[in-house]
Amino acid sequence: MSEYFGNIKTGAVTIATGMGITLKHFFNAIHRKGDAGLDDVDYFRQVDGLCTLQYPREVIPTPANARYRLYNKIEDCIGCGQCVRACPISCIEMETIKVAPDDLAVCGKTSDGQQKKFWVPVFDIDVAKCMTCGICTTVCPTECLYHTPVADFSEFDRSNMLYHFGNLTRLEAEAKRRKLAEIQAKALADKEKKAAEAKLEKKDGE
Amino acid sequence: MQELDTAGLGSVRVTRQSDTVVILEKDLATEQMVLAMGPQHPSTHGVLKLECLTDGEVITQAEPYLGYLHRCFEKCCENVDYPAVVPYTDRLDYLAGMNSEFAYAITVEKLLDIEIPRRVEFIRVIVAELNRIASHLVAIGTYGIDLGAFTPFLFCFRDREIILGLLEWASGARMLYNYIWVGGLAYDVPADFLKRVKEFVDYFRPKTVELCELLTKNEIFVKRTLGIGIMPADVAINYGWSGPMLRGSGVKWDLRRNDPYSIYPELDFKVPVPDGKDSVIGDCLSRHLVRAWEMDESLKIIEQCIDKMPSAEGFNSRSAIPKRIRPKAGEVYGRAENPRGELGFYIESDGKSTKPLRCKARSSCFVNLSAMKDLSMGQLIPDLVAIIGSIDIVLGEVDR
Amino acid sequence: MSTTALSQFSIPLLMGNSLNAWSDALAGFYLFGLPLGLVIIAAIPLVFIALYSLTYGVYGERKISAFMQDRLGPMEVGKWGILQTIADILKLLQKEDIVPASADKFLFVVGPGILFVGSFLAFAVLPFSPAFIGASLNVGLFFAIGIVAIEVVGILAAGWGSNNKWSLYGAVRSVAQIVSYEIPAAIALLCGAMMAGTLDMQKINILQSGSYGFAHFFLFHSPIAWLPFLIYFIASLAEVNRAPFDIPEAESELVAGYFTEYTGMKFAVIFLAEYGSMFMVSAIISIVFLGGWNSPLPNLGGVALNDWTNGPVWGALWIISKGFFFIFVQMWLRWTLPRLRVDQLMYLCWKVLTPFAFISFVLTAIWEVYRP
Repeated sequence: MSEYFGNIKTGAVTIATGMGITLKHFFNAIHRKGDAGLDDVDYFRQVDGLCTLQYPREVIPTPANARYRLYNKIEDCIGCGQCVRACPISCIEMETIKVAPDDLAVCGKTSDGQQKKFWVPVFDIDVAKCMTCGICTTVCPTECLYHTPVADFSEFDRSNMLYHFGNLTRLEAEAKRRKLAEIQAKALADKEKKAAEAKLEKKDGE
Repeated sequence: MQELDTAGLGSVRVTRQSDTVVILEKDLATEQMVLAMGPQHPSTHGVLKLECLTDGEVITQAEPYLGYLHRCFEKCCENVDYPAVVPYTDRLDYLAGMNSEFAYAITVEKLLDIEIPRRVEFIRVIVAELNRIASHLVAIGTYGIDLGAFTPFLFCFRDREIILGLLEWASGARMLYNYIWVGGLAYDVPADFLKRVKEFVDYFRPKTVELCELLTKNEIFVKRTLGIGIMPADVAINYGWSGPMLRGSGVKWDLRRNDPYSIYPELDFKVPVPDGKDSVIGDCLSRHLVRAWEMDESLKIIEQCIDKMPSAEGFNSRSAIPKRIRPKAGEVYGRAENPRGELGFYIESDGKSTKPLRCKARSSCFVNLSAMKDLSMGQLIPDLVAIIGSIDIVLGEVDR
Repeated sequence: MSTTALSQFSIPLLMGNSLNAWSDALAGFYLFGLPLGLVIIAAIPLVFIALYSLTYGVYGERKISAFMQDRLGPMEVGKWGILQTIADILKLLQKEDIVPASADKFLFVVGPGILFVGSFLAFAVLPFSPAFIGASLNVGLFFAIGIVAIEVVGILAAGWGSNNKWSLYGAVRSVAQIVSYEIPAAIALLCGAMMAGTLDMQKINILQSGSYGFAHFFLFHSPIAWLPFLIYFIASLAEVNRAPFDIPEAESELVAGYFTEYTGMKFAVIFLAEYGSMFMVSAIISIVFLGGWNSPLPNLGGVALNDWTNGPVWGALWIISKGFFFIFVQMWLRWTLPRLRVDQLMYLCWKVLTPFAFISFVLTAIWEVYRP
């Protein structure tokens, strides 16, 4: 019998405690917690209150080192292809053209002064596939590939998720490729000619 | 445990008291109905399907169907380099990514036999314990929802949000961190991080008390969980249970103590097990209480780590990371205490490749879930919901 | 007592301000030989239910739950999201009205109708104001208790007709629950009826008027009146399937219970019926124990607060605000407590509420007979 009344009593008391807590929160609803990020010194000094942020207008701030949208600063890219090999899900697609010797100046240097030796006509990142693991950014020798703190980049069309970073248009790429082919053909012809000459000389020598 | 012969009894409703089965109702033979609970059911915590044979509201048999979230983790691992496996381990138990990474990292380090800087170990323990708290908050909150209390869930998520913010600040991502690397860390923690974690601990302590008052002590909650889904210790061990589930059954088994790794031996924390005063040992309430207590212990661990943390001077979080991970031929099994139990990785290396020859994950949720059939027999549908909630499955880890 | 109470009505209106004057005047209103007045009388509670569930019921509940959970609640449609419910209604209107192929089509369609009629019929005997009552029955309270039971038929029809296992569970649970909880609820209300000595809703109200305001309410009438009050409040939660007794629609167990298969306006009607019942039980508890349309403010010497705040219009305000207070408590409970299990629900009903209801019944009877 005492257990019966004890149960009723604990039931009433615990329910009342719980209701007290929810009522306290209800009356506390006049306060709103701010939208400071964790890197803010005063984060835990914000008032305890409603913690909703109304998304498009108020956002949870992302820290500066947040890894979200992958970005390639193509001016610094030397086209080494390390990222393509490192990516566990192959979301980076890359094509390179060797820079012709007389184009080296046009192609320019990276910001740390390294001579770029490749044109990168195609550098496509499928950010829909990218899982933001950051492995590609750690292998990048020039640190031109990095994740930005931009967290919201949703699209209606999936093809818009394919980001193009190539530094040549298709026509330019075609031209460069042709030029390179010509140079290579010339070099080959020269080589053959030289070889033939050498052969001839050798013959003459005999 | 006593085996129950249900043949000829028709429907039975049983309860377990320590190791004996007590039949509450029998001879209620009515027409049985197959009830497919899930994969789209609000309380199966994902895409678990339970095919129940029910007699009225009494479940005579429940069969879990898995595999709706199978993502070929093990096959993926065989095709990527050792460091590239880490982001995949995040996706096993996506509520406790740091802990999964931790388990994988210590396994490969065991295989490579390398020494890790002390500061790395401390940071690893801090982020793993923070993630453990976040994971237990989800477990406790969703358990409240399973039993009909919505408000504790949102309070839990409000606090979990802060932990996710902290981890995002440290690692750059909110849930899928890729932070703990084989041999080190992706980065050192930001300058004010430890101060902020300390503030979080001070902020969070009163919130756990409030949560306890609101949910754990609530008489209706206690009545819904007390004595439901009792798992005796020996059966739990036979099933291979681990983590809070096993400790809920009264077995003091915690890999941080029993198979110590990292700096856990230096830290002072208790392994909470129910004493049978507040709950029946092995029931849903015990498992819930163990999770609640573990949050307090994790807070203690975090505080100690902050106090003992070696200085950041001359520290490079990647100093011990091998340039190219190519372990000598051999095999290794490493395990760590995850919020849901023992997460183990079995890795085999052929000594030539930079990719694992075989990487098998021993998932705690999968093993814990295997007892579902035994636990659910003879229970009511609301109790089944309470039992699933107390197992605290993450389907990402069950199906891998 | 009744004459003194009526003499306090001070706001003159076209239809007079004596007891039931408005409803009598409306009932006698015929246009081209058609009883248009009766239609208006019936329409008033209907409009009230619709308006209140739009504003307080849905929007209010969402906001209250949000504030209790440290959230903002709806904020997008209109200022502070006040037009959110309108947007929801528009959405529900546009939804395809699906009748499952294997459902029992007749029961599936009539289910929500019966459900709504069940909760709506009780509004006939609720005195919204001293001057307005839909039907002034001399067994009004009895009618209100009895008519709620019709809801069970609607729930069973909806749950069975859906041909869904979850719906069936919800329906069967609901029937067991409502039928059981009617017993303590009815006994608790009988205590109130005993204190009043009548079942007529208007008379129960009049008996609770007086210059001391709340001191005349039946809740303070006898030292044990709080017990039937509490019992009826708990039992009424179960009768309208509100938490912690929401097991017929337990969303984490039964998906959505008996209305799992409903879409569009049928779903909206079920919702409306639920909000109708919520106000109905809240109004009944405030009529029987808290003086209904009487002002709770006492006359303080020369400051005749009670006289100033009584009258047909004030009365409507008081009863609605008392009803809304109890709805707030219902919401408050819902967003605090977990859900009971089926057997615990029955335990609470048969082993706790019913014995205590009987005890309070006997004690009230003794108090009424041997009142000092």
